[in-house]
Amino acid sequence: MSSHPLLVSALALAVALAAGGRLLVDQQAQRQETGSVLKLLLGESRRAFAMHVFLKADAYFHQGFYPSVFDSPAAAEAKTHLVEATEENHHHEHNHGHAHNQHRDWIEAFGCHFQPSEHRHLEGLGQAREILPWLRLAAELDPQRVETYTVTAYWLREQLNQVKEAEAFLREGLRANPDSYEILFELGRLYAENDRDVPRARIVLELAVEKWLRQEASKVSPDHVSYRQILGQLAALEERAGNLERALAHYFRVYQVSPNPATVQKRIEELRAKLAAPQKPPP
Amino acid sequence: MNTVCSLAKVVVLEMVRRKDFYVLFILTVLLTGTAGSVNLFNDRSIVRYLKEICLLLIWLSSLVMAITCTARQIPMEREQRTIFPLLAKPVTRGQFLLGKFLGCWLAVGMALAVFYFFFGLVSASREQQWPVLNYVQAAWLHWVMLGVVVAFTLLGSIVFAAPSSNGTICFVVSVGILLLGRHLNKVALGLPQPWQSLLYGSYFVIPHLELFDVRDLIIHNWELIPWGMVGLATLYAAAYAAVFLLAAIWVFRRRPLN
Amino acid sequence: MEATVAIENLRVEYRSRELGLATKVAVRGLSLAVGQGEVFGFLGPNGAGKTSTMNVLLGFVPPSAGSARIFGVDVREPIARQRIGYLPEQTYYYKFLTAEELLHFYAGIFQIPPAERGARVDQVLKLVELEHARKRQLKTYSKGMQQRAGLAQALINNPDLLILDEPTSGLDPIGRMKVREIIQRLKNEGKTVFFSSHELGEVETVCDRVAILHQGELKAEGRVADLVAQHAASLEQVFLKLVGYHPHP
Repeated sequence: MSSHPLLVSALALAVALAAGGRLLVDQQAQRQETGSVLKLLLGESRRAFAMHVFLKADAYFHQGFYPSVFDSPAAAEAKTHLVEATEENHHHEHNHGHAHNQHRDWIEAFGCHFQPSEHRHLEGLGQAREILPWLRLAAELDPQRVETYTVTAYWLREQLNQVKEAEAFLREGLRANPDSYEILFELGRLYAENDRDVPRARIVLELAVEKWLRQEASKVSPDHVSYRQILGQLAALEERAGNLERALAHYFRVYQVSPNPATVQKRIEELRAKLAAPQKPPP
Repeated sequence: MNTVCSLAKVVVLEMVRRKDFYVLFILTVLLTGTAGSVNLFNDRSIVRYLKEICLLLIWLSSLVMAITCTARQIPMEREQRTIFPLLAKPVTRGQFLLGKFLGCWLAVGMALAVFYFFFGLVSASREQQWPVLNYVQAAWLHWVMLGVVVAFTLLGSIVFAAPSSNGTICFVVSVGILLLGRHLNKVALGLPQPWQSLLYGSYFVIPHLELFDVRDLIIHNWELIPWGMVGLATLYAAAYAAVFLLAAIWVFRRRPLN
Repeated sequence: MEATVAIENLRVEYRSRELGLATKVAVRGLSLAVGQGEVFGFLGPNGAGKTSTMNVLLGFVPPSAGSARIFGVDVREPIARQRIGYLPEQTYYYKFLTAEELLHFYAGIFQIPPAERGARVDQVLKLVELEHARKRQLKTYSKGMQQRAGLAQALINNPDLLILDEPTSGLDPIGRMKVREIIQRLKNEGKTVFFSSHELGEVETVCDRVAILHQGELKAEGRVADLVAQHAASLEQVFLKLVGYHPHP
């Protein structure tokens, strides 16, 4: 009986160690899921901060000239010009709500001398780099915000010629969002347009299509814009690679979801004509 | 004027011998340095975010310094009773307040000079340019704005007994005006009467401190502000500072010292 | 000849901030005059109205009724304080300044020309025997040294009237003796000294005349020797009798 207290103590120690170990493992798992210190510190409010920081990048793109929610709530909610610029056919003019030369009172009129009051963009050589810190911070704050990765990658590879950094950032985004067809599309675009790596681009873009079909196809209003973009990119890639039949197959799928089928039909006809024409012998 | 200058000199000496400025300056340097050391896509020439962080820290530090330094002046004089041997000399209460105002304003001005010089170094280290006149305008407008803050904090320190409550109120009011001041008119337009008139009225009454915040112009390398406008802004701030100081003198002259 | 300090029917009231509390009368109809070159002792137990009277003389509190004049000038005018030196009971100075800086500061307040300031500062520092510590911040001073620094600031403008509030309070015997010597020296220079004290022995030694105040009213005023002779008792016994204190047998 004299050994009982010792036994109880040993048992208690074992239970304590086991519980402690379990807690540590749980904590570790939780930490991995949490991702960053910012998440621990800010909780879910970090998503709101991420949005704010993303808008900050847009404000930087406009050299500080930016409407507030008070100027025009509609303009503040609209898609940022930073995003519009990454999309094709974005050459339309945009405005930022209340025109700054229409002053409501003398304080506004006087105040316009002390803040950016003219619509300008970052246009000088490499100036677009100034938006990058805010995009980086937005991604840190909300790694699930896919738009941050695609927009950043676009500016990195298109405007700053930093293709490697763009690829690394997209891969980082993909780790945080493994099912994102948007990131896969951007990555495919990078391989196709910058690296000219057709096989790699094809794999990534086909994977994007697969992800899109799995996530969006069954929805009542699926994201057709992204689908068209992925297929269009894929079709163009195959066309450049000389795989006209595969390109044609992709255009057919675009045709089915296009808001402007006539244009796609025209492209299909062109490809068919190309296919029908006798092959020129290689020089 | 000699009396006012002598009083101001003591406030400046106090500020120099306290640790507040050094702590805030070192904090600004450390935080700016940390922000600058972050690797952003292997690009070492990105500078505007660094300018923004540095200026934000300078603005916060200067507000903290101006408000805490001013808020403690009169309560501390009364608590430590240093006001008694002072006012037992041929010093009017008006001169006493003007001396305190001038001292606090000069002290934060000196601190601003150091802060903006550091900002210039940060900016020049990456931009390879030094638009001195733009920085001078920004620092001047900043300092002038702090004159208004110092004046209304001085008034607050006579109205509110505790420096901590006065400091908090003045800080909240200053930051509130800086963030929302220019939007009050737009918010007012969306309100029903009589709130609309009330808010629109207050929009015209409050000192628009945000006018003096030209950080965006500096960060994004905009052109110089017309000097005439800078002059008008200075007059605007001087008028508000004078109103607050006169109100402070009026209240203080009616307060018995015992 | 006009009195250096002239108080006529002075009444000081403090209105209570709390609702329902009556107004407190600190001084009731006080009249007295202090001539040039006199050392005048202002006596009374705690709460007698000494500090309130001094506060009026120094312009800290406005009189509720009556008047107070210094060198013929109403005390509400700041210029009345141009020829005054004031030493408060406690040492209320900017502790982050050195004695030298403090004296230069007050010299500036008195508009002493910059060329003369240095000499004047040296002179008062020598008088209070603080030359060796002139570059040290006041916070490093002992209580006695701080009191002497206070006396130095009170003398920086070479005042014609010194108002001293309990000048020897809290000092050790040597410190008291030094302060007493300084008062004596000032008296010999023809300065007027108006001081309050609880130290009746000290008052007896240095004062020409005294006034005894109790509950805001003047109970007695006159030369120390006359009061002692009139009541056939020591100054302490006279004081206790006038303030209504009867020791138990």
